[in-house]
Amino acid sequence: MSIASLQCPLPIRRRAAVAPRDYARRDRAIESFEAGQHQESIGETLGYLLPDIRIPDLASDALCFVQGSARVRIHIEGDELVLTTSLAALRPDAQSTAALRFFLTRLSATGQLFQPRLRDGTIRLEFRDRLSLLHPLKLAEVLQRLPMESDANDGWLAERFGVDAPDREAIAPLDDVEFARAWSIWIEHWNSVNELMLESRRRRSVRFLDALGSYAANQVRYTLPLFGSVRARLNESADDYTDKDENPNKRDSALAKCIKEMRQVSQNELRQCLGHSSYAINPLHEGTPSLLTSMLGSGHRMQTTGELRAVGRSLEAALELIADYLYLLADHSWPVEVETALRSGLDLVSGKPWREAADVLWNHANHTARVFGSHGEHDQDRDDDRYNDSEPRYDS
Amino acid sequence: MTAETEFAAQAHPLDDIERLGVYQVYTGGGTGSGFLIDATHLLTNCHVVQPYPEVAVEMRDKSRIIGRVRRIHPHRDLAIVELSRAVDGEVLVLSDGEQLKPKQAVHILGFPVGLPLSLTEGVISHARQLLDEQYFLQTDAAINPGNSGGPILDDQRRIIAVTTCKLNTADSVGFGIPIADVRKFIDEFRAQTVPFGVQCPACEELIERAVRYCPSCGSDLEANHDFGEYFETPEAHPLVGFVEGALSKANIDPVLARHGSQNWSFHIGSAPIKIWCCCSEHLNFSSPMAQTGSKGLSELFQFLLSAEHAPFTFDLVGSTVRLNLVVHISDVFLPAEHAYLAERVRQFILKADVTDDLLIGQYGCQPAPETQTDHLSAEHGFLI
Repeated sequence: MSIASLQCPLPIRRRAAVAPRDYARRDRAIESFEAGQHQESIGETLGYLLPDIRIPDLASDALCFVQGSARVRIHIEGDELVLTTSLAALRPDAQSTAALRFFLTRLSATGQLFQPRLRDGTIRLEFRDRLSLLHPLKLAEVLQRLPMESDANDGWLAERFGVDAPDREAIAPLDDVEFARAWSIWIEHWNSVNELMLESRRRRSVRFLDALGSYAANQVRYTLPLFGSVRARLNESADDYTDKDENPNKRDSALAKCIKEMRQVSQNELRQCLGHSSYAINPLHEGTPSLLTSMLGSGHRMQTTGELRAVGRSLEAALELIADYLYLLADHSWPVEVETALRSGLDLVSGKPWREAADVLWNHANHTARVFGSHGEHDQDRDDDRYNDSEPRYDS
Repeated sequence: MTAETEFAAQAHPLDDIERLGVYQVYTGGGTGSGFLIDATHLLTNCHVVQPYPEVAVEMRDKSRIIGRVRRIHPHRDLAIVELSRAVDGEVLVLSDGEQLKPKQAVHILGFPVGLPLSLTEGVISHARQLLDEQYFLQTDAAINPGNSGGPILDDQRRIIAVTTCKLNTADSVGFGIPIADVRKFIDEFRAQTVPFGVQCPACEELIERAVRYCPSCGSDLEANHDFGEYFETPEAHPLVGFVEGALSKANIDPVLARHGSQNWSFHIGSAPIKIWCCCSEHLNFSSPMAQTGSKGLSELFQFLLSAEHAPFTFDLVGSTVRLNLVVHISDVFLPAEHAYLAERVRQFILKADVTDDLLIGQYGCQPAPETQTDHLSAEHGFLI
């Protein structure tokens, strides 16, 4: 085994200060909707998801908010609410057919309320429906998913298909110091993953592959503010190698290919795909006490990790625990004290030998779950009330 | 002709299963199989049709006809459905109940997992297996969901049993209802004139209305089943009520469109329409109507993405073009909006009906695998 430890660097990606959701506003929105006060209901729903933004009278003024690189516009047109965000403008010299096929195969779909629409040579993601059909839960779904989809299909569309990307929000590039650190994290990360990949192949363990895949994806998501083509390629690969329903050999190949591609990313290419953006709607899932308990508490998951420790398989145990911490931090927003606790766990084990890392993080996880996790029926009810937008997931 | 070539030239009795009177039965609970006992009556399992008073029966050309449930025997798992018109499938002969033996070959016809008519083969594992105080024919031939109610045939293509169930915890252990019980059920049905009746699980006397105790043997009919439910139309889930109400307003018979639990499928003209819930939030209407050609794709794709189609949308799955409409589940619980939404569904169906012609006629598309090509506008003149 040539790799003796993992580095857990501090993130360059900025964690947005996210106010806890005001669920009373959502409830008021539902009450207003059921009372037939549709505009009031829309106002409350927007206020619930966009607490820091002043909501204008949408019948006379459009609301525009920024979600990463996406600018989302909302207005009322007659008796309909319209949400739009621009994706791409076709150019005569662009690979228009390939771009259009991409929109039809990857962005149009059943099971979603917004769709790509072509108007005057520009593709926009669009949602339009009668005010009387905008139940707050339906509107909240659109408000969360449409901007996220638009942000995910940012400038890389222009790069891949040669289309224009009009009406996108600029992303602030990293300064030189930040980028130097980002480059160092990037190189170190993929070298480590490459070493661990050899270990995974030697052990031929699906469980090891699960943990390695999760670590490979979530370490980057947590630490680096990626966007553009590198993020798109990384997410596409991660969908394959973290897919537990897929054949392990295919997942192994997908991860190996991803490592190779990511190690070939040039400094200049990475620089163009790193930057700070702002999000009007919290782009992360809200972390819940029950999620902490299920990931770090004394359930089946930690029991099996504990068994690995007990039989001296410290590398697997440490990798699983580090991957879980990174997943919790990369995909979820937490109250400050929980986030600080999770980060302190990573600080304790960064650069530490496997055995020590496994022991320290195991104890830290148990402690964190005890302090911040859910404890019994009362907390479970509270979780259900407070956090019912969030679903526990392992890999994303 | 030598003996060998003469043997090879002889048609096997099961070479042409398509002309046999075995059909797929659709309800709001699932699909099953059934076979003709005469031109207007189909025999199937009770569990295939229950709790629906009407079912859809699909013909070989994919058209469907209504079947009205006339008799059910819950204990023996048999049912007889009267078809809304005579059909011309071949009525299979019932075996005369001769002695069946282990290792004797059997052939099972049916629609496993919703696939087109299929034949599986095996042998009799036990001719009279006693289970739950009833005798069954046990076979190792493959039986899958959707086979229920189909015939089990011998080498002479005579029905020797009706497929009913299999053991999920074991391999190759399937069961059929012996032909003697089937014949008795049919004979009794033919001797009766009651429009609908349920046979008493204990004495097999016909019961015509919901009662607590059997008028003949005095058995407590509610002891093992909610007997009254056999005489009631089941209450529909609001989502089912919404979809079927909208289909009715579009002049689509919802019974004919049912395709299992919260699933519907039918053709409007040449275009197939499918309706299903993909999750707890979205009700999808989709018509996989055409396949892309090899030329003029940019124009086609621009047409498909054009905002003029809103609130409908097109997508591409492989090379198949689908027209879609998505309804949020919260809309279903807004009765005041049902008329508006039903009109949206009707417009979707109308658009699907005309758009496949348009895609094939103007944009060089080909019919999709499920397109009913004989309903396409004749002017396209494409070859299949």
